[in-house]
Amino acid sequence: MITLKHVSKSFASRLLFRDVTASFASGAVHLILGRNGSGKSTLLRLIGGLSRVTSGSIVFAREDARIGYLGHATFLYPNLTAYENLAFWQKAYGQSAQEQAILKMLAHVGLTPFAHSRVGVFSRGMAQRLSLARVLLLRPDIYLLDEPETGLDKTSRVLLQDEILKARADNACILWVSHLAEGQSLADSICTVQKKTLVCRQAQPQVQIETGGRTKDAQKGDEQC
Amino acid sequence: MLKLALALARKDLSLALRGAGLVQSILLGLLLVFMFSLSQKTGSLASGQMAAAIFWLSSLFCQTLVFNMLFAFEETQGARTCLLLSPAPVTDIFLGKALAGFVLIFLAQILFFPAIIVFLGQTVSQSWPMGLLMLFLADTGLACLGALLGALSQGQTARESLLSLLVFPLLAPLLLAAISVFAAVFGEQAGEDPTSWIGFSAAFDAIFLAIALMLFRFVYTGED
Repeated sequence: MITLKHVSKSFASRLLFRDVTASFASGAVHLILGRNGSGKSTLLRLIGGLSRVTSGSIVFAREDARIGYLGHATFLYPNLTAYENLAFWQKAYGQSAQEQAILKMLAHVGLTPFAHSRVGVFSRGMAQRLSLARVLLLRPDIYLLDEPETGLDKTSRVLLQDEILKARADNACILWVSHLAEGQSLADSICTVQKKTLVCRQAQPQVQIETGGRTKDAQKGDEQC
Repeated sequence: MLKLALALARKDLSLALRGAGLVQSILLGLLLVFMFSLSQKTGSLASGQMAAAIFWLSSLFCQTLVFNMLFAFEETQGARTCLLLSPAPVTDIFLGKALAGFVLIFLAQILFFPAIIVFLGQTVSQSWPMGLLMLFLADTGLACLGALLGALSQGQTARESLLSLLVFPLLAPLLLAAISVFAAVFGEQAGEDPTSWIGFSAAFDAIFLAIALMLFRFVYTGED
């Protein structure tokens, strides 16, 4: 669904990506790994069109594909209520604000009692759950998830993973930057940002090796996309 | 079509009316009027030309603060990212911001106008309908340039000064027209036909609206 063709990106004199070619299929979860500062978030921003590629191109199978973005920032307005935030984003994405759908989504993420509270008073976890509700309400074709688990408790992380699986079943293309161990068990492909390029491989069932009380994951089959 | 623009304008108005930003903008304008009134000798009246200049100066300062505030809404939690990912064209963001700014400037002027009458001892002449038309045209120009240049103030704090630096010289011709027409509204004998200023202002708006619609996508981007 998304194809990167010889994409390079540099900021001033700093080269971040060199000649990256990769494709991300629909109906799959693509986990993106890499060290801090390696360019994982920039890769998502390039795919979302938020940042321009220095050279190369990014091609979408469908030009009208909806993109949902969940990241470190919550993309919410602190002085609006939870309900008003969701209603605004529905309208901003060309949907008519449906009260029942919004209330149902708020219930789904466990925020019904706070539907008419200002988001500014929410904890980080609550705001992140509301941000998740925002993305789910928009029913995107492409999910750009930049460490979406930030600030979420265990229950909410399970909810997030359930929703990722549902989106995959709905044939969405999911690009997920995550440090969670669970991420690897959900992924269909795992891409690592290294040496200014992207190395992708099919995810394989994890083999757990007991090493003196510690568990180590073993995977193999690296190939460049 | 324009769904994003209308939703954005409505959201911005809601946020502006709940916060202190608009109050600050209005207070600054009123303070300006009051300070100028103190410069008058007791019993003397300010000329219509001066009163008009103070009215538009207050409106201009208000415009700068209003557009800084409107674009700051999108930066608090990074909402700009999601606005730009919306399927609507980027120009809808410009139109939404311009519409919200237009309404807020107009709301402030509703307070500035009587303040000018009271503090600077002005009277309103028969030519007030032309003044109303000029108000619409000048506010449209303020909103267009404010929304375009306010987008430059997004993100880094150092860039916020760009709005005031760029907007004043660009708006000078429109302000000259507005001051001339409003001088007539305040009873000053017009040196030249004020209707020519109306035509000039309409042309100014058309040109800058077209320029803003073309340039906004390059100014308001996801790059930090």
